[in-house]
Amino acid sequence: MNAVESFIKYKADTNMQCGSYFIDLPKLKENEQYRFHFDATKCIGCHCCEVACNEQNNNPFDIKWRRVGEVEGGVFPNVSLIFLSMSCNHCIDPWCLKGCPTESYIKLDNGIVIHDDEACIGCQYCTWNCPYDVPVFHKERHIVTKCHMCYERIENNQTPACVQACPEGAIEIEAVNKDEWLKEAIDKEGNAPGLIDARVTNSTTRFTLPKDMPKNLTPADYALIKPAHKEIPLVFMTLLTQIGFIGFVAIFLGDLAKSFLNLPSASFSMSFVIFSLLAIGLPLSALHLGRPFKALSAMKNIKSSYLSREALALGIFAFFTMITAVFYYFKIDGFFRIFIEMIGVLIGAYGIYAQSMIYRIDAKPTWNRKTTTYRFFSAGYIGVIILAFIALLENEEKVANILLSLAILLGSVQIYLFFESQRFYDLLREDNKFFYQIRRAKELLENDFKKLYLFRKISLPIGAVFLPLFSVIAVNAGSLSFGAFLAFLAIVVSFLSEFSGRVLFYATAVKTSMPGNFFAGTQRG
Amino acid sequence: MGLKDKIKEFLGFDIKEDKYALVDDPVFGKISKEKKPDFWVKSTCGYCGVGCGLYIGVKDGRATYTKGDPKHSVNFGTLCPKGLSEHYMLYAKNRVLRPKIRKNGVLEDVSWQEAFSYTANEFKRVQKEYGKKALAVISTGQLLTEEFYALGKFVQLGLETNNYDGNTTLCMASAVSGYKQSFGSDGPTGSYEDIAKADAVFVIGANLADNHPIIVHHLMKNRRKKKIVVIDPRRSKTSQLADIYVPIKPRCDLALLNGLAYIIWEQGWYDEKFIKDRTNGWKEFVAHIQKYKPGEVSYITGIETKLLYKLAKLYAKSEKSLICWTMGVNQSYLGTNTVSAINNLAIMTGKIGKEGCAPFSITGQCNAMGTREFGFTSSIPGYRKFESLKDREEYAKIVNIPVDLIPSSRGYKYAQIIDAIDRGEIKALWVVCTNPLVSFPDQNKLRRALKKLDILVVQDAFMSDSAKIADVVFAAATWGEKEGCYTNSERRVNKANKAVEPLGDSKSDLDIVLEFSDYFGKRDLLFKDFKEPKDVFEEIKKISKGRLCDYSGMSYEKIEKEGGIQWPCNEKYPDGCKRLYGEDMPFGHEDKRAKFISADWEPLKEGLDEKFPFILNTGRTVEHFHTRTKTGEIKILNNLAPEAWIDINPADAKRLKVKNYDRISISSKRGRVDNLVVRVTQSVAKGTVFVPFHFNTQLINLVTNSLFDPISGEPNYKQTYIQLHSKEVPDGIILKEGIFGSLEAKGEKIEREVETIAEKEGR
Repeated sequence: MNAVESFIKYKADTNMQCGSYFIDLPKLKENEQYRFHFDATKCIGCHCCEVACNEQNNNPFDIKWRRVGEVEGGVFPNVSLIFLSMSCNHCIDPWCLKGCPTESYIKLDNGIVIHDDEACIGCQYCTWNCPYDVPVFHKERHIVTKCHMCYERIENNQTPACVQACPEGAIEIEAVNKDEWLKEAIDKEGNAPGLIDARVTNSTTRFTLPKDMPKNLTPADYALIKPAHKEIPLVFMTLLTQIGFIGFVAIFLGDLAKSFLNLPSASFSMSFVIFSLLAIGLPLSALHLGRPFKALSAMKNIKSSYLSREALALGIFAFFTMITAVFYYFKIDGFFRIFIEMIGVLIGAYGIYAQSMIYRIDAKPTWNRKTTTYRFFSAGYIGVIILAFIALLENEEKVANILLSLAILLGSVQIYLFFESQRFYDLLREDNKFFYQIRRAKELLENDFKKLYLFRKISLPIGAVFLPLFSVIAVNAGSLSFGAFLAFLAIVVSFLSEFSGRVLFYATAVKTSMPGNFFAGTQRG
Repeated sequence: MGLKDKIKEFLGFDIKEDKYALVDDPVFGKISKEKKPDFWVKSTCGYCGVGCGLYIGVKDGRATYTKGDPKHSVNFGTLCPKGLSEHYMLYAKNRVLRPKIRKNGVLEDVSWQEAFSYTANEFKRVQKEYGKKALAVISTGQLLTEEFYALGKFVQLGLETNNYDGNTTLCMASAVSGYKQSFGSDGPTGSYEDIAKADAVFVIGANLADNHPIIVHHLMKNRRKKKIVVIDPRRSKTSQLADIYVPIKPRCDLALLNGLAYIIWEQGWYDEKFIKDRTNGWKEFVAHIQKYKPGEVSYITGIETKLLYKLAKLYAKSEKSLICWTMGVNQSYLGTNTVSAINNLAIMTGKIGKEGCAPFSITGQCNAMGTREFGFTSSIPGYRKFESLKDREEYAKIVNIPVDLIPSSRGYKYAQIIDAIDRGEIKALWVVCTNPLVSFPDQNKLRRALKKLDILVVQDAFMSDSAKIADVVFAAATWGEKEGCYTNSERRVNKANKAVEPLGDSKSDLDIVLEFSDYFGKRDLLFKDFKEPKDVFEEIKKISKGRLCDYSGMSYEKIEKEGGIQWPCNEKYPDGCKRLYGEDMPFGHEDKRAKFISADWEPLKEGLDEKFPFILNTGRTVEHFHTRTKTGEIKILNNLAPEAWIDINPADAKRLKVKNYDRISISSKRGRVDNLVVRVTQSVAKGTVFVPFHFNTQLINLVTNSLFDPISGEPNYKQTYIQLHSKEVPDGIILKEGIFGSLEAKGEKIEREVETIAEKEGR
């Protein structure tokens, strides 16, 4: 034991950070932070850093904070095989931190982005939001975990595990002046093959790459295509809230129109059904959390997280639908009800908008489109059919006619958006910045989810247009009950269609990440 | 779990903060609290021949950590991924905890006493009925030196059979024979420090980045001043580090080396003084290399003449040049002579015995060197020759045994043992710490032969494929559970220490040998003073005194203090010796000179025929060790390489209509392997494929050849003619005309002309 007592202070005579358990880091000056430097010309893909990281942090084999990927390019014998070892890039604008609804990420004064385990509710939004795919959900712990640059070691002048373990000295810790880095250095040294543009999150990791890199580099796992999680609780939550919202808008419009036209107002049952959709939908989302008992803390980060905003706005909206239902129950009529409904509509609209903005993130290229927002609104057409169905049950022929027409209009928009998304895949070209991710999504749709995709394609026009249209015909032909039956069928078919569409939305969303390992891929999910 | 706990679990109350917390360790700083050791034991890694110093953390009697020793000159605190996770190996699910005997077809746990007496009786019966030599032993490169010595002594002098060899014949034998041919003795000549300090390093047939990542640390030192040449048919990870990558055609290295010698001679770049003072056979050698003119060599190897000159000049004219190699050279029908050809280059230019200069063989197993020095397989302990009466007498005198007990010739080599079993000449086999059922070539032949045995005893710490078919299994302890020495590639004797008790009823291999010898009444004769490893070490010191592998100046304490000592270590070299054959150290031949070996390159015997148009190359990957008995159960390693894959060039993949992750089969004249995972890559040339040999699930040695180096007995693993069978092209590719990537391509176009004519639908 005597021989080892001193070597925590011992530095290898190479003066490299690798090998030594002790590190001399410069004191940070104004505007500086610590960052990783990774030298791809030194890395030999031995995976020491991965193993050392897990050993240090006691993580099981399938929770990797640091991963090694590889890319290949060229033609034999002029072939480049380049390895990339990456953990957290401790970004200047970390999206994990911005998006986290519970403020569970902290950027320390030294720039290291750490995760506050106790505050985390396991919503995993950061695992979507980080374009480097860094945070990883730890099932056993119910929370997300990530690389913290061994900050507790750094604080004690000890070397982070990966840096210590790398036999080739390919990983180092250095100080960086943030302003200088952002000025132009980041564009020269912040990017690496297979990674998103460093400016997206202002990543701080500095990469040294081989000088004569081939232009086309293929990740070792390019053909390894795994679907993402289906997120069933979220499928229900988003659909039910969207359906509830558009239904509520219809009630509001009806109430408003009643002031000018000779129309009956919405019924209590209608308002109650709308309230029920939200009352069921919103709590369902808690099911996907690692720690459902802390669900309410999701509203904490209104400042920068759309998830918090969504949770809060839709929570308040649900309250307004309840008030509205109470108004209808007690038949409280008049301007005040319209006013309450209007406020509800505004808050609800923001809620659905915020909900859609959760998905408008660079890390998920197939989500990051304006049409996602449109689709989230137009999916609510089912809410209008539901109201029409109730109207038919209540023998309100006129109301039903208006509602069914409105539903067909919205449904057509939804059909248009569906075919627009298909065109988006059809027109995919290799020079697309996110070709790699979108191609995978396309292949998932065409192979893994072929049947579901086909069902979606066929069921959407049937549920959204044909059946409501037939219902209109039946109603106008005089058979309210058959019209009601068709409307009910439309609800079922269109809900199944939207359900499958939403499952596909989640399951085919391939993330931006890093080049992976041939067998283990990017070691996520 | 009660309902209450289930609800709590679902709601996510417990984030197991304590389990994942860090805590201060007085030695290594912040480490995992759950695994924080009670104490650390200094030791040496038990995987490969690099010989990294490490510390084993022990908590509640179990190993929980392995950490690199920053003061160790081999690894400077780093370890490869296998070393970093080595402690898991001790608790792998496949550990053998108790000795076993096959009863009614099933291996059943028995007492040591029963296992020993049953085996001893069987061995005695076989030896009585069929002669002493009907018992053969195959050992390993992974025991401790003390254990090798005791085992060898017991086999040769106690069991009195010289049909004793190690799995080292599958990996190191050609280096041993090549060194012996050239220098008169075995012994790698250089140090890792030489790799660091050389101006030019030639890496031939070695994928250090995958197999010896810690040596790359040395290779990459002084990188800016250094030129690195990698000669390999495969564009390996290592080749990415090179200044010059030489895509040599498979198994043409002997022609290349002779060709380089020719250019060096032709240009007058040789060291006349060194040749005159310290070598023999120069004139014959010069005459010999006249056959290897650049044009001819370029034709054979596929390397441009200009590049040949460049390489020759780089080697001869750099002040410090070093050649290191591993299996690409050794595992060949021409292995021994190829090693000697490397030695030829070193002695014609005087690039030996000086800083940064060496013909340097890198070893594969943690103690392949230990068995070479004192294992009693290919030589009498202390690099003594069986054939030499003087050597036999000397050894007999030191250990006080009758000289007649010592055989006057080496017995059968590994492959010859298998052949003798096949012939019915050998009836009992004792396999120690190796797994021929994965590692030996031409598995069908091996498995046929092993069925003919009266008794197969396997001594191993893991329930290997070979242990599963054994009649008796001796439960051995493994690394971390026993004490002794490992010698690494640079002759550094490192100390491995016991950190934890052997698991279950397992015993150290030394204890097994000592106790087993009692059942033959040989303990007093052979192991009278042996109680613990240190006693064996004392005898090793005695028998090595004055030999090249001289341990006489070492002690356990000194080895630990110095972080390993490179032999020879004696009065002349009290702190050990960095490199062999410096000016003050004569070569091992009787005239104290090195010898030029004039050997010819020849094409592969098993010719290419149109049915088997691909060349298969086998090797390793960084995540696994040998036959995966140790690493297969370590999830963090196995997860990265859970199955055998086949590297295949995109052009060939296209012809076979396969893409990544498809499954494909390989066949040769000897067998077929199914279910290989396709990996399309430019790292292999058209017409060549690479498959790792680790996997019993996709056992590549079903197709490799029973072709052995006639001198060393080492198998020719690296080139096998094979056919590929995909789902779409089940009969594979058949040559239309010409031969590609071929060794027999003389006079024909090298360009390959291949066409798929065997597609099912096309017929």
